Order: sequence, then C-alpha cells, then structure tokens
Amino acid sequence: MALIELQDVSKLYGFGDATNLALDEVNLKIEKGEFVAVMGPSGCGKSTLMNLIGLLDRPSHGQYRLEGKSVSRLRPNHAAKIRRDKLGFIFQFFNLLPKLTALENVALPLTYKGMSATKRLKIASEMLDRVGVQSREYFMPSQLSGGQLQCVAIARALVNNPQLIIADEPTGNLDSGSSRLVMELLADIHRMGNTILFVTHNPELTRFATRVVYMHDGSIIHDESTTIGRVATTARKVLYTLPTTKEEDDLAGVSTLMKALPSRSSVPRTSSLSSKTKAKAKPKPKTKRKSRK
Amino acid sequence: MNFFRSTYFKAARDSVRRSKGRSFWMMAGIIIGVTSVISIVAIGEGIKQQVGVQIHQFGPNLITVRTAQLSTQSGGSTSSSLEALSGFSVTSPLTSRDISTVSNVKGVNASAPLTLVDGSVTGDYGSYNKGIVIGTSPDLPSLFNQSMEYGAFFNSSQTGSNVAVLGQDVANKIFNEDVPLGRTFIFHNQQFIVVGIFNQFPSAPLSQQADFNDAVFIPNQIAEQLTNNTAPTYEIMARASNKNEVKDIAKKIKSALNNTHGGSSGFSVLTGNENVAVNNNILDLLTSLIAGVAAISLLVAGIGIMNVMMVSVSERVREIGIKKAVGATNRQILSQFVMEAVLISLIGGLIGIVLSFLIDLLLRLLTSLRPNITWQIVVIATLVSIFEGILFGSLPAIKAATKDPIDALRAE
Repeated sequence: MALIELQDVSKLYGFGDATNLALDEVNLKIEKGEFVAVMGPSGCGKSTLMNLIGLLDRPSHGQYRLEGKSVSRLRPNHAAKIRRDKLGFIFQFFNLLPKLTALENVALPLTYKGMSATKRLKIASEMLDRVGVQSREYFMPSQLSGGQLQCVAIARALVNNPQLIIADEPTGNLDSGSSRLVMELLADIHRMGNTILFVTHNPELTRFATRVVYMHDGSIIHDESTTIGRVATTARKVLYTLPTTKEEDDLAGVSTLMKALPSRSSVPRTSSLSSKTKAKAKPKPKTKRKSRK
Repeated sequence: MNFFRSTYFKAARDSVRRSKGRSFWMMAGIIIGVTSVISIVAIGEGIKQQVGVQIHQFGPNLITVRTAQLSTQSGGSTSSSLEALSGFSVTSPLTSRDISTVSNVKGVNASAPLTLVDGSVTGDYGSYNKGIVIGTSPDLPSLFNQSMEYGAFFNSSQTGSNVAVLGQDVANKIFNEDVPLGRTFIFHNQQFIVVGIFNQFPSAPLSQQADFNDAVFIPNQIAEQLTNNTAPTYEIMARASNKNEVKDIAKKIKSALNNTHGGSSGFSVLTGNENVAVNNNILDLLTSLIAGVAAISLLVAGIGIMNVMMVSVSERVREIGIKKAVGATNRQILSQFVMEAVLISLIGGLIGIVLSFLIDLLLRLLTSLRPNITWQIVVIATLVSIFEGILFGSLPAIKAATKDPIDALRAE
C-alpha cells in the first residue's frame, strides 16, 4: 500500500473566466521510505501539490489516499488532526512563531495533542538535540541564523513522529552552507526511515533524493528514480549542459528544465524542438503563472 | 471541559503578558465599568441601610403625615416611584388645624408637628444660618425614641415660653461649648434659652428627614407667633397607642384629614414600614438608573475589547496559519482567542472590584456615606466580566478559527 496515492487530482482556482488550473489530473504514488524531490519552474503547481498532500487544501477533483484512506473530502478539524499526527511541515520562510523560544516552537504541535507542559518540553528538547541546535533552546527566532531556524523548524516537523515530512523549498532562503546542513539533516532523517517530500529549484540537491518528479503547468511531466549521491540525470542536464534560460524562451514560458527532458516525441533535440515546445506552451498565457504566485 | 483546559489558559496568559500595554487598555473599560457599577450599587445599599436604621429607631408605631401623595406599595412600579419623586412640592403645607385634627384622632397617644421657621440664629459667637429651626410639641423625643444628653426637652407647661432644645452639632457651633445649658441666643429678635441638648441622631444621607443634629427645636406655638402662622408644617408625626392597629389608625387619620380638607387628599399618611418602602423605592429607582448608565459603559468596554481583538486577529493571521499547519483544530484556535478575551475582561473585572473596595474605604473615611458592597454584587461583577469576555471574544475568535490555513500562511 502506497503511503500517498493521488488519482487524477485537479485543483482549480477562481470562477468562470478567471478559472486557473493549478493542478491538471495529477497521478502520483509515493511509497513509504522514499525521498522525493519535486522540481519545476515557479507557478507550475508544486506548492499547490504540497498543500494538497499536506491536507492544507482540498482537491477540486480526483482522489487522494493517505495510507490507503481517502482524505480528499475531510472536514477541516479532521484534517487538522491528521496534520498533527501524521504530517510534518517545513517551510521556505521557516514559519516559526516569533514570540516563542525555539524550544516552545518545537513543542507547539504537542500542545495540540494535549500533552502536559513538562513532557512536551522534554520531547522538544530531545528533538533539538537531534537536529544539533540544543544549545539554542531558549533563543528567540530573531536571535538565530537562517540555518539554525530551519533546523528548529525541522525539529518541529519531527516532534510528532510523522509518517511524512513535507518541505516546501526548505533551502530556498538559505546560503549554500546552511542548505547543505539542512539537506544532510533531512538525509539523516530519511535514513532513519522517514518519508520525505521536498520542493527545490536547485538541481544539485537532487543528490539527496531517491526520486525526482518534474512538474510543468500543473502536470507531472517526468518522474525518475535516482541514486542517492548523484544528481538526477535530467536535472544534471540543466546544471551542466544547457545554457541558462534565454530571453526568448522566457517570453514563451519555456524553462531550461523543459528542454532537458527526455523527449517524448521523436523530434531530435534541436532548434526545431525548441520551436515545438514554444508552440505547445504558447496557448497558456504567461500571466497565469504570475497569478498563481 | 476541553474549552477551559489549562493549556489554553497558559497560552492566553502568555499572550496577555506579552502585550501588556494593549491588554491594559482593553481592560481599562471593564475596570471603569465594574468600579462604577459596584460603587453606585454599594452607595445605594448603604443609604438604604442607614435610612432603615433611622426609621427603625422611630419604631413601627410611628405614623407620619406629609404634604405629598406618596406611593405606599413596597416594590412599586417605576411610575409610582417617579410620582413620589416629583410630588413633593405640589401641595400646600399642613396647618395648625391639621395638627389638632391628628392629635384628636382616637388611638393616637402622642403627636408632634415639624414646622420649619425661617431666619438665622444669633448666638454669642455670631449668627448661624446653616441649621434649621423647627417648631414642635413636647411629644417629639418620645416619638423619635431619642434621649437627651443634657437637660430635658421642654414640657407642656413651657410651650408658651421662649425655650429651645438643640441638636448636638448646632450646640457646638453656636456656643462653642459642649454644655450650653442656660445660655441664650437671639432668633427673630427674641431671646431663647437653651434647656436641653439631644444625643447624636443617627444620620442618613438622602433621607427624607432633615438632619436633626443641625436643628434647633422650639415650641410650635412660639414658632407660629413668630411668623404669624405662615411657617410651613411639612410633617406631623403621630404614634399609635397599639402596635397592631397602626394601619387602622393611619386610615383614621387620613379620613379625618380628608374631612377637614373637604375631601382633597394632597397629603400622605404613612406608617413606619411604609416609610421604609417608599424610601427604598426611590433609592432603588435612583440606584438602578445610575447603575444602568454605568452598565452601558460595560457594554462599550466589551465592544472595545472586541475591536482590539479583531485587529489583533488580523495581525496574527500568520501565527494562526502556522498553528493550523502544525495541527491546531478550529476549536483549539477558537478556545485560545476566547480564553484571551475572558482573561482580559476577568482581570479587568477583578481590578474593578478591588478599586471599588478602595473607593468604599475612601467614602467611609471622607464622607458620611456608608457604602455597602454585598457579596452578591461582587459575584455578579465577576460573572458579568467572564460572560463579557466570552460574548465579545467569540466574534474575533470565530474569525480567527475559520481562517483558511493556506491564506493564513501566505499572509504577511
């Protein structure tokens, strides 16, 4: 039984003429123990996918099964309890409560479980120890560096012993040193058996993943398994072989990642492909992506 | 009950503590409202008690005839109390004929008029016009149940002579000595000799009785001579010989007076108990009017809390989003915000209660008022504070609890 199973999941925003298709019949299966990286240009629906999987949002159409149980039509309170017990969130901007100490921030999810104060602070302290920032227990978030903040956030995500950790660009706001620290921490957690789903823009970070999912315009366009320690093949092409986005591509809404994909058509990857993708992308206006951000 | 779990209480307490300034100003309205309501009710209660003591001292046999139609129903409707408030000056004063009518009614074994005489009293130490001069009969001390400190009240053989009996305060003020027996003062160009001094009368602010400690009593006959029968008799006091017939005798007095006045009824005949009832009616009305105005300030304070909480919810959208993301249910968010409002209004209420005890103390020290803070009003104030927190905290709390987690997380 897959941990996560999405079946033809779509998400629409807005009404009538202003309708936006953020997710377009996405099918995705994630097994327990996987470390999945999700890549794609801004506005491709990655965050929407994360929100849906994280039960912060509900799909407009389609089925979502978490541990075999359908959760696509849950009431808000029930969804909150599943978030509390089974899911851990890590955000790009950390999202720690500024008025609580690091320790209290980590203990927050336990509060909603109804655990006593002493017990939850003890568990939180152990968690901070595990992510290596125990010496900062009584610091306020404003007194911590970005990397430390993300470690605290990871400790908070872990404190409930979740089935799945969802990280939306966990390194998006960090320098490369801190990024490395955070990713190694996630890799550690993965080695202990947790399932992790993370969004990234940095192809380098696919080294840590066991599987990479590429998205574009609300659909999953490529899905490959990789070996830990190696940059995913498709992503590597973006990194080393292809030039950075050209202005004309940018105007057409084509990312370098798109060009790097193993072609599903028989057309050789030349300028003709670029024109084909251009044509494919054209009907979807650029403003649509902006409105999603 | 899940709602009042200590976890939420602590979260609310921390939140209140972290924004002390804002919390204090939210409390200020509640503090003022609670303090004023309690103080006003306490003052009303206190006056009621003091008047009760005074009337009680006069005894249940006492019947008073006044120049106004007063409501006699205890717990009477608002309109009758209002009539009582406004009816005092409508009718003409009682006359000397009425005095004899009352004293001749069967079953009345003592009666005394209270006649106000204008003019200032000139003693050895200059003139004194703050007190009142009352013409009355020798029966007065027995009607009041009031004993003499020095000397004796004038007896029936002295009613034609210029004698006077003083209240304690006026004795000190005119003669600057404690026992001015035998001293004289000038009133309406006539010399009066002091024959007695009363013990202290129990004082009662806002009571319908004048403060007799400041009064000079002279025989009614002399008072009428001095003023050519123009001095107004505002009250006739009478005592029934039998305790059980007080009501009947009061009725008899009333009909006798009606006869002499040709059927008009521009005066009231009240027994001791009815007097208490009238007093309480008026006081209750006044107290509830003022307390009602003060209660409106409580309402305004509640709306103030609601406004600040609304703004606070908008400011804390991100906090709400984060809490929801890590698993807080709508109800848990709701509880937190309601708890915060309850805590603020409850603390405000408690501060208000403490303040009103301080005001009570100050009033007792500085004035003759004896405010009486009952435990009921304290309990009510506490409950109202809690209720107000729940009532006005709910709307902001619902707003907070129903925020969409994604929107809340995205908010800046």
